Amino acid sequence: MSGHGDCEKCEQLLQGYLDRQLTDAEVREAERHLDGCAYCRRRYRFEETLRRYVRLSAEERLPPGLMERLAALRSLET
Amino acid sequence: MSEPQAPTEARQIAQEARNRVRFEEEALELADQVYRVARRLVATREEAEDLVQETYARAFRSWRSYTPGTNLRAWLLRILTNLNIDRGRRSQRAPGTTPLEEGDYYLANKVAAVQGEEALEQERVVERLSQDSVVEALSSLSHDFRDVVVLVDIGDFSYADAAQILDIPIGTVMSRLHRGRRQLKAKLAEEAA
Repeated sequence: MSGHGDCEKCEQLLQGYLDRQLTDAEVREAERHLDGCAYCRRRYRFEETLRRYVRLSAEERLPPGLMERLAALRSLET
Repeated sequence: MSEPQAPTEARQIAQEARNRVRFEEEALELADQVYRVARRLVATREEAEDLVQETYARAFRSWRSYTPGTNLRAWLLRILTNLNIDRGRRSQRAPGTTPLEEGDYYLANKVAAVQGEEALEQERVVERLSQDSVVEALSSLSHDFRDVVVLVDIGDFSYADAAQILDIPIGTVMSRLHRGRRQLKAKLAEEAA
Protein backbone atom coordinates (compact mmCIF):
# COMPACT_ATOMS: atom_id res chain seq x y z
CA MET A 1 0.00 0.00 0.00
CA SER A 2 1.35 3.54 -0.05
CA GLY A 3 3.68 2.73 -2.96
CA HIS A 4 5.84 0.25 -1.00
CA GLY A 5 5.46 -2.34 -3.73
CA ASP A 6 8.08 -0.58 -5.79
CA CYS A 7 10.50 -0.27 -2.89
CA GLU A 8 10.19 -3.96 -2.11
CA LYS A 9 11.15 -4.71 -5.65
CA CYS A 10 13.94 -2.19 -5.51
CA GLU A 11 15.32 -3.82 -2.39
CA GLN A 12 16.04 -6.83 -4.56
CA LEU A 13 17.37 -4.72 -7.39
CA LEU A 14 19.52 -2.67 -5.06
CA GLN A 15 21.61 -5.63 -3.98
CA GLY A 16 22.30 -6.62 -7.56
CA TYR A 17 22.90 -3.01 -8.51
CA LEU A 18 25.50 -2.46 -5.83
CA ASP A 19 27.18 -5.75 -6.60
CA ARG A 20 27.18 -4.92 -10.32
CA GLN A 21 25.21 -8.03 -11.21
CA LEU A 22 22.29 -6.55 -13.14
CA THR A 23 21.55 -6.57 -16.82
CA ASP A 24 21.50 -3.19 -18.59
CA ALA A 25 17.72 -3.15 -18.54
CA GLU A 26 17.64 -3.87 -14.82
CA VAL A 27 20.25 -1.18 -14.18
CA ARG A 28 18.02 1.34 -15.95
CA GLU A 29 15.05 0.17 -13.96
CA ALA A 30 16.95 0.48 -10.68
CA GLU A 31 18.28 3.93 -11.56
CA ARG A 32 14.86 5.11 -12.59
CA HIS A 33 13.49 4.02 -9.25
CA LEU A 34 16.39 5.57 -7.33
CA ASP A 35 15.86 8.87 -9.13
CA GLY A 36 12.33 9.10 -7.91
CA CYS A 37 12.56 7.58 -4.43
CA ALA A 38 14.36 9.39 -1.60
CA TYR A 39 13.92 6.42 0.72
CA CYS A 40 15.72 4.03 -1.59
CA ARG A 41 18.40 6.62 -2.39
CA ARG A 42 19.22 6.89 1.26
CA ARG A 43 19.34 3.12 1.57
CA TYR A 44 21.57 2.96 -1.47
CA ARG A 45 24.07 5.38 0.04
CA PHE A 46 24.09 3.46 3.25
CA GLU A 47 24.54 0.09 1.60
CA GLU A 48 27.38 1.50 -0.44
CA THR A 49 29.11 2.75 2.70
CA LEU A 50 28.69 -0.62 4.35
CA ARG A 51 30.29 -2.41 1.42
CA ARG A 52 33.15 0.04 1.42
CA TYR A 53 33.74 -0.55 5.13
CA VAL A 54 33.73 -4.30 4.61
CA ARG A 55 36.21 -3.96 1.77
CA LEU A 56 38.48 -1.62 3.73
CA SER A 57 38.38 -3.92 6.74
CA ALA A 58 40.35 -6.43 4.74
CA GLU A 59 43.09 -4.10 3.55
CA GLU A 60 45.96 -5.91 5.10
CA ARG A 61 49.36 -6.78 3.76
CA LEU A 62 50.75 -10.28 3.70
CA PRO A 63 52.35 -11.06 7.06
CA PRO A 64 56.15 -11.03 6.89
CA GLY A 65 57.61 -14.36 5.88
CA LEU A 66 54.40 -15.83 4.52
CA MET A 67 55.34 -15.35 0.88
CA GLU A 68 58.64 -17.12 1.49
CA ARG A 69 56.87 -19.99 3.21
CA LEU A 70 54.43 -20.30 0.32
CA ALA A 71 57.21 -20.22 -2.23
CA ALA A 72 59.02 -22.93 -0.28
CA LEU A 73 56.00 -25.21 -0.64
CA ARG A 74 56.71 -25.50 -4.36
CA SER A 75 59.78 -27.69 -4.11
CA LEU A 76 58.26 -29.78 -1.30
CA GLU A 77 56.00 -31.55 -3.73
CA THR A 78 58.44 -32.42 -6.47
CA MET B 1 72.28 -26.31 -28.02
CA SER B 2 69.26 -28.58 -27.81
CA GLU B 3 69.52 -32.13 -29.00
CA PRO B 4 67.69 -32.32 -32.29
CA GLN B 5 66.79 -35.94 -31.61
CA ALA B 6 65.27 -35.29 -28.19
CA PRO B 7 62.63 -37.91 -27.68
CA THR B 8 59.04 -36.68 -27.47
CA GLU B 9 58.81 -37.84 -23.91
CA ALA B 10 61.68 -35.63 -22.82
CA ARG B 11 60.14 -32.68 -24.56
CA GLN B 12 56.85 -33.38 -22.85
CA ILE B 13 58.54 -33.49 -19.48
CA ALA B 14 60.27 -30.19 -20.16
CA GLN B 15 57.01 -28.62 -21.28
CA GLU B 16 55.23 -29.87 -18.21
CA ALA B 17 57.94 -28.47 -15.98
CA ARG B 18 57.53 -25.08 -17.64
CA ASN B 19 53.75 -25.21 -17.23
CA ARG B 20 54.17 -26.08 -13.63
CA VAL B 21 56.57 -23.23 -12.92
CA ARG B 22 54.24 -20.81 -14.65
CA PHE B 23 51.30 -22.08 -12.63
CA GLU B 24 53.25 -21.69 -9.41
CA GLU B 25 54.34 -18.17 -10.28
CA GLU B 26 50.84 -17.08 -11.18
CA ALA B 27 49.44 -18.62 -8.02
CA LEU B 28 52.04 -16.89 -5.85
CA GLU B 29 51.24 -13.53 -7.45
CA LEU B 30 47.71 -13.90 -6.10
CA ALA B 31 48.86 -14.62 -2.54
CA ASP B 32 47.94 -11.23 -1.12
CA GLN B 33 44.42 -11.43 -2.51
CA VAL B 34 44.00 -14.97 -1.26
CA TYR B 35 45.29 -13.95 2.16
CA ARG B 36 42.91 -10.99 2.34
CA VAL B 37 39.92 -13.27 1.87
CA ALA B 38 41.32 -15.83 4.31
CA ARG B 39 41.92 -13.15 6.89
CA ARG B 40 38.21 -12.31 7.05
CA LEU B 41 37.01 -15.89 6.90
CA VAL B 42 38.79 -16.96 10.07
CA ALA B 43 39.23 -15.32 13.44
CA THR B 44 42.98 -14.83 13.80
CA ARG B 45 45.98 -13.95 11.68
CA GLU B 46 47.64 -17.24 12.58
CA GLU B 47 44.64 -19.23 11.36
CA ALA B 48 44.59 -17.22 8.15
CA GLU B 49 48.27 -17.93 7.56
CA ASP B 50 47.74 -21.65 8.20
CA LEU B 51 44.77 -21.73 5.88
CA VAL B 52 46.65 -19.97 3.08
CA GLN B 53 49.61 -22.32 3.47
CA GLU B 54 47.37 -25.37 3.39
CA THR B 55 45.67 -23.95 0.32
CA TYR B 56 48.93 -23.45 -1.54
CA ALA B 57 50.25 -26.84 -0.51
CA ARG B 58 47.15 -28.43 -1.98
CA ALA B 59 47.16 -26.20 -5.05
CA PHE B 60 50.77 -27.02 -5.88
CA ARG B 61 50.02 -30.70 -5.40
CA SER B 62 46.98 -30.71 -7.66
CA TRP B 63 48.08 -28.11 -10.18
CA ARG B 64 47.24 -30.44 -13.05
CA SER B 65 43.54 -30.15 -12.32
CA TYR B 66 43.64 -26.40 -13.00
CA THR B 67 42.64 -25.51 -16.58
CA PRO B 68 44.99 -22.79 -17.91
CA GLY B 69 43.14 -19.67 -18.97
CA THR B 70 40.36 -20.07 -16.42
CA ASN B 71 40.02 -17.98 -13.27
CA LEU B 72 42.98 -19.03 -11.10
CA ARG B 73 41.96 -16.81 -8.21
CA ALA B 74 38.54 -18.48 -8.08
CA TRP B 75 40.21 -21.88 -8.33
CA LEU B 76 42.50 -21.12 -5.38
CA LEU B 77 39.68 -19.71 -3.30
CA ARG B 78 37.59 -22.74 -3.97
CA ILE B 79 40.33 -24.84 -2.39
CA LEU B 80 40.58 -22.37 0.46
CA THR B 81 36.87 -22.24 1.25
CA ASN B 82 36.60 -26.03 1.08
CA LEU B 83 39.48 -26.41 3.50
CA ASN B 84 37.89 -23.82 5.74
CA ILE B 85 34.52 -25.53 5.64
CA ASP B 86 36.18 -28.83 6.54
CA ARG B 87 37.89 -27.17 9.47
CA GLY B 88 34.67 -25.56 10.58
CA ARG B 89 32.88 -28.88 10.50
CA ARG B 90 35.64 -30.45 12.52
CA SER B 91 35.72 -27.77 15.15
CA GLN B 92 32.99 -25.33 15.94
CA ARG B 93 30.11 -25.78 13.54
CA ALA B 94 26.89 -25.13 15.41
CA PRO B 95 24.57 -28.12 14.95
CA GLY B 96 21.43 -25.99 14.91
CA THR B 97 22.27 -23.77 11.94
CA THR B 98 20.38 -24.64 8.81
CA PRO B 99 21.51 -23.05 5.59
CA LEU B 100 19.12 -20.57 4.05
CA GLU B 101 17.80 -21.23 0.64
CA GLU B 102 16.29 -19.28 -2.18
CA GLY B 103 12.80 -18.81 -0.77
CA ASP B 104 14.20 -16.93 2.18
CA TYR B 105 15.23 -14.09 -0.06
CA TYR B 106 11.63 -13.17 -0.70
CA LEU B 107 10.76 -13.50 2.97
CA ALA B 108 13.70 -11.38 4.00
CA ASN B 109 12.53 -8.66 1.68
CA LYS B 110 9.04 -8.73 3.11
CA VAL B 111 10.43 -8.31 6.59
CA ALA B 112 12.76 -5.53 5.49
CA ALA B 113 9.88 -3.64 3.93
CA VAL B 114 7.75 -3.92 7.04
CA GLN B 115 10.61 -2.70 9.19
CA GLY B 116 11.37 0.27 6.95
CA GLU B 117 11.54 2.95 9.63
CA GLU B 118 13.40 0.73 12.02
CA ALA B 119 15.93 -0.07 9.31
CA LEU B 120 16.59 3.62 8.72
CA GLU B 121 17.22 4.18 12.40
CA GLN B 122 19.64 1.24 12.41
CA GLU B 123 21.46 2.80 9.49
CA ARG B 124 21.86 6.14 11.24
CA VAL B 125 23.58 4.33 14.08
CA VAL B 126 25.81 2.23 11.85
CA GLU B 127 27.03 5.26 9.92
CA ARG B 128 28.82 6.49 13.01
CA LEU B 129 30.86 3.32 13.36
CA SER B 130 34.49 2.65 12.55
CA GLN B 131 36.03 0.03 10.32
CA ASP B 132 37.22 -1.90 13.34
CA SER B 133 33.65 -2.56 14.33
CA VAL B 134 33.05 -3.99 10.89
CA VAL B 135 35.86 -6.50 11.35
CA GLU B 136 34.34 -7.63 14.60
CA ALA B 137 30.80 -7.80 13.29
CA LEU B 138 31.95 -9.74 10.25
CA SER B 139 33.66 -12.32 12.39
CA SER B 140 30.45 -12.82 14.34
CA LEU B 141 28.49 -13.96 11.30
CA SER B 142 27.85 -17.65 10.81
CA HIS B 143 30.13 -19.44 8.31
CA ASP B 144 27.52 -19.66 5.57
CA PHE B 145 26.82 -15.94 5.61
CA ARG B 146 30.39 -14.82 6.12
CA ASP B 147 31.67 -16.88 3.21
CA VAL B 148 29.45 -15.15 0.66
CA VAL B 149 29.86 -11.64 2.09
CA VAL B 150 33.64 -12.01 2.11
CA LEU B 151 33.81 -13.52 -1.39
CA VAL B 152 31.59 -10.86 -2.95
CA ASP B 153 32.61 -7.77 -0.97
CA ILE B 154 36.28 -8.49 -0.35
CA GLY B 155 37.10 -11.00 -3.04
CA ASP B 156 35.07 -8.96 -5.52
CA PHE B 157 33.65 -12.10 -7.09
CA SER B 158 30.47 -12.19 -9.13
CA TYR B 159 27.50 -14.14 -7.76
CA ALA B 160 28.24 -16.81 -10.36
CA ASP B 161 31.87 -17.17 -9.26
CA ALA B 162 30.89 -17.22 -5.60
CA ALA B 163 28.31 -19.90 -6.38
CA GLN B 164 30.93 -21.99 -8.11
CA ILE B 165 33.51 -21.52 -5.40
CA LEU B 166 31.08 -22.53 -2.66
CA ASP B 167 29.30 -25.10 -4.80
CA ILE B 168 25.83 -23.68 -4.11
CA PRO B 169 23.15 -22.25 -6.44
CA ILE B 170 23.28 -18.55 -7.35
CA GLY B 171 19.92 -17.99 -5.65
CA THR B 172 21.46 -19.26 -2.43
CA VAL B 173 24.40 -16.88 -2.83
CA MET B 174 21.94 -14.01 -3.15
CA SER B 175 19.82 -15.02 -0.20
CA ARG B 176 22.84 -15.61 2.02
CA LEU B 177 24.33 -12.29 0.99
CA HIS B 178 21.12 -10.52 1.78
CA ARG B 179 20.68 -12.23 5.12
CA GLY B 180 24.36 -11.93 5.94
CA ARG B 181 24.38 -8.20 5.37
CA ARG B 182 21.27 -7.80 7.45
CA GLN B 183 22.92 -9.69 10.30
CA LEU B 184 25.97 -7.53 9.85
CA LYS B 185 23.92 -4.35 10.16
CA ALA B 186 22.05 -5.64 13.17
CA LYS B 187 25.34 -6.57 14.81
CA LEU B 188 26.83 -3.16 14.10
CA ALA B 189 23.77 -1.39 15.44
CA GLU B 190 23.98 -3.53 18.56
CA GLU B 191 27.64 -2.67 19.01
CA ALA B 192 26.96 1.03 18.64
CA ALA B 193 24.11 1.04 21.13
